[in-house]
Amino acid sequence: MRDFVLFAHIILGLALIAFPIVIILYLKKQTNWIKPLSFATAAISWILLLPAGKLYITFYPATKTLIKAGAWPWAHSIIMETKEHWGLLLPIIATLATGLVFTGKAKESKKWWILTIVLSILLGVMGRIVKVGALQ
Amino acid sequence: MTKFNFYLGAAASAWLLAILVIIAELVEPFKTLLKDIFMHHWIGKGVLITLAFLAVGFLLKNKTSLGKIPDDKLAWYSVLGSLIVIFLFFAVEFLK
Repeated sequence: MRDFVLFAHIILGLALIAFPIVIILYLKKQTNWIKPLSFATAAISWILLLPAGKLYITFYPATKTLIKAGAWPWAHSIIMETKEHWGLLLPIIATLATGLVFTGKAKESKKWWILTIVLSILLGVMGRIVKVGALQ
Repeated sequence: MTKFNFYLGAAASAWLLAILVIIAELVEPFKTLLKDIFMHHWIGKGVLITLAFLAVGFLLKNKTSLGKIPDDKLAWYSVLGSLIVIFLFFAVEFLK
């Protein structure tokens, strides 16, 4: 169960890096699949909250105990606390970018797609730091 | 006429999240209240900022600025500001 949720979390997170990159590359070409792909990206950003929430609420408390007792307590107190809340803004940002694509403001959506990519990468890196923090 | 203001909805969500994070950490009964209502404080914050996004986006759909600040700039700096405030808050709380 935990592995399935974790893989879903990682795969959906990677999609939030890959899809916006494709969208940015084809933003100026006005291709007819940009809107569906943008919609799919926004939908994924919301769906991602399900495995993220399951991991955080059900499985993370044991990891948290390990981290706080170890040499890297900041991995929870700063990194995980920040990560869990930054993650809540990710679907808002992706939905805003998608909304701009759908309302004829594709050019204006570019920086929001870049923010989606950067934030997704940061969340992934932070997740890795938390994982390593539990082993210290 | 637009049907939804994504910029102002996002700006409202961003600042509400920063406020909820700080209050929940500093006022324990508030965190408990979120937990009692939504099963977990994280779920509570997620539900509340989503409602704020939808409510403000619909209610202010005809606005293109707040005061003299254009809605696109307001959204951009609000989201970046919220992300920075949240990180700094937890860093300061840990270090003090």
